[in-house]
Amino acid sequence: MVNKEVEKVIVVRNAKKVYRMGTEQIVAVNDVSFEILKGEFCCLLGTSGSGKSTLLNLMAGIEKLTSGQIIIKGKNIPKMNETNLAKFRQRYLGFVFQSYNLMNSMTALENVEFPLVFKRVRTKKRKKLAQDMLVQVGLGNRMGHKPKEMSGGQQQRVGIARAFVAKPEIVFADEPTGNLDTKTTMEVMNLIQAIARENNQTIVMVTHDPRLASYADRIIHVLDGEIEKVEVLHDITDPEVYQRRVEEARAAAPKLSELESSADPKKKKHGHKGKKKAVQEMKAGSEQSSDQKTQ
Amino acid sequence: MRISDLIKMGLRNLSRRKARTALTIIGMVIGTISIVVMISIGIGMNQTFKSQVMELGSLTTITVNRYADIMDEDGNYVDFREQKMDASLVEQISQIEHVRAVTPVIYKSMRMYSGKYEGYLSVYAMDCSTWEDFDFPGLSSGTYPTPENNKIIVFGEYAFDNFWKTTGRNYESTSLDPAVDKITMGFSPWEYTVSERKKEFRIKLDNNYARFEYTENYEYDYYAYMDIEYFEELWGKYCDTLTPADRKKAMKSLETYESIKINVDNIKNVSEVQDAIKALGYQTSSLMMYMEPMQETSNMLQMVLGAIGGVAMLVSAINIANTMIMSIYERTKEIGIMKVLGCLIKDIKKLFLFEAGMIGLMGGIIGIVLSYIASWAINKFGQPLFESLMSGMMGTGEESKFSQIPFWLPFLAAGFSILVGVISGYFPAKRATKISAIEAMKTEG
Ligand SMILES: Nc1ncnc2c1ncn2[C@@H]1O[C@H](COP(=O)(O)OP(=O)(O)OP(=O)(O)O)[C@@H](O)[C@H]1O
Ligand SMILES: [Mg+2]
Repeated sequence: MVNKEVEKVIVVRNAKKVYRMGTEQIVAVNDVSFEILKGEFCCLLGTSGSGKSTLLNLMAGIEKLTSGQIIIKGKNIPKMNETNLAKFRQRYLGFVFQSYNLMNSMTALENVEFPLVFKRVRTKKRKKLAQDMLVQVGLGNRMGHKPKEMSGGQQQRVGIARAFVAKPEIVFADEPTGNLDTKTTMEVMNLIQAIARENNQTIVMVTHDPRLASYADRIIHVLDGEIEKVEVLHDITDPEVYQRRVEEARAAAPKLSELESSADPKKKKHGHKGKKKAVQEMKAGSEQSSDQKTQ
Repeated sequence: MRISDLIKMGLRNLSRRKARTALTIIGMVIGTISIVVMISIGIGMNQTFKSQVMELGSLTTITVNRYADIMDEDGNYVDFREQKMDASLVEQISQIEHVRAVTPVIYKSMRMYSGKYEGYLSVYAMDCSTWEDFDFPGLSSGTYPTPENNKIIVFGEYAFDNFWKTTGRNYESTSLDPAVDKITMGFSPWEYTVSERKKEFRIKLDNNYARFEYTENYEYDYYAYMDIEYFEELWGKYCDTLTPADRKKAMKSLETYESIKINVDNIKNVSEVQDAIKALGYQTSSLMMYMEPMQETSNMLQMVLGAIGGVAMLVSAINIANTMIMSIYERTKEIGIMKVLGCLIKDIKKLFLFEAGMIGLMGGIIGIVLSYIASWAINKFGQPLFESLMSGMMGTGEESKFSQIPFWLPFLAAGFSILVGVISGYFPAKRATKISAIEAMKTEG
């Protein structure tokens, strides 16, 4: 079997991050190297304080690298100036945060529009894109609501809509379900996975929860700022696996509209069904190494 | 970001904190009012001075007098000296740059007769082709003399008001009207002796005169003017009636002028021309000389008033800066989010500058509107205050405007208030761009 050539969308080489606290030095990320392929769902898994968030922020260009290289889409991130970095983010990156980080003064629709405002997309077009995105995450009936008027799960779905609205190639998510209960966690995880697969987007997600890691194609185990091991659950360079994922993504599309109806009490049953399946999948993923999950 | 989005977002941020925005704007309103009103008072006072000085004559006129005052160092009069005033001096002065018109002035006392009445009148004889340059007033009747037809005498409003009865015991002044009364004129009988064998020199007034409009300027209202050539002609005839000894003296007296009047093309060049004449060895006077100390006083007053306005403006600038810094603290998290979502640094800067400039502009516009009201109130009710303030400088006329807002002032004020806003917003805005996205997102908000 000839493996397909897939773009290495993120390359990290000997990345090191040292925080200086007075005379003390804290090595948050210590000489880390790995690669992430285009279309992969990659999980940074590790205990609290292991340096996952720091690593993610380094990749996103939010933190300054102490030494090493981080190359995304062929661009050396630490070498970029602020303006180019901002433009790069507009074009290629999306973000989902643990604490949602929505603009409190704006409605759901305006929040989702926001990245497009920076991209200079015209009002009409960006409104349409944002509306479509909100419908896709099942908030078609919450567009005019402010974050304070929504539940945590709903807010995070707005966050996801905002992260994906500009169709970025890479979405970074730092504990996107950290503030949510199990049920909502599953909804949100399914949502991220489905949207990402549909558009062949790369996801880099930070979590300390091994169960969530089962959504990943690749798990990077982080321990004390170093990589313990890299686990590949699905080898997307394998054409067969790749094909299956594409089909799965197509199958996931109707699931999304189901999710919308989960806000609708009448169709709640369907929503539960989807979730049950997700829990099963999750367990399967954490125990076995590969293809089981797709069944 | 598109400019329209930037504006929308900025306005929205301002309206989110209505009370604070309003208070900051009020600060700016006060600053603008004080600057505009102070400037308008300065301008108004300057105008008042100017118009009062102008009542005395034109500001572009320089006079060289035959008898020049000699002053000591403190500007007190000590003596006078006689200057040589002849045709060659007139010729020399006319060669000076910026001199538009120059005329010798002859000043003679005349006497008027009408039946039992007599009256005195002083007459100025000047080259009638220059009258227009010296801003002679309009006429209420008749026409001005021209070089072709110069046999016209122009009388002021009050020229015929000082007649008295020669037969009466008491001096009681009476007004006559040349249109009604038959009036003849001759030269003052005291200066020279008329030959006994000759008939006294007289001219009749019928169609050979014109009247000035009432001007409030005594130089026109109480005097008569005629063309210098016509005067010389009359004087020649008069001299023929004198005794031989006096005839010679009288003829010679015309060779020396009473004064020479010079008209300068622009107020700015008055002192330059004065210096040039001084270089010829002659002392000059002009109303600009009166204006200068007055202008100095009013400039100082304007500076004091401007400083008061400036302080008020400074306070409101600090106020804007404070508001912007507060707003940045509050919005730290939002700024972090914006940065992570790909907002350009310069857009963040622009956003804050726009908000600050907008506070300035709104305060400025409201302030300008209120300034007009304040200016109106000052002119209406400020009379007593300003009269006491300006006493010792000049009297204040009935319709003096203490506060004048020229058309350019509101534009200047609006521009200035935006500028103040933007400048006060500059450092806060710069600070906003320096906020680290990661730190910002960790803050609550
Ligand atoms: N700004 C900072 N200054 C100093 N030390 C820091 C800073 N940020 C993180 N660290 C240190 O770096 C290490 C890694 O932190 P990081 O936030 O990446 O952990 P994490 O794996 O995301 O943990 P968690 O799961 O609890 O979020 C920690 O020891 C932390 O104390
Ligand atoms: Mg973390």
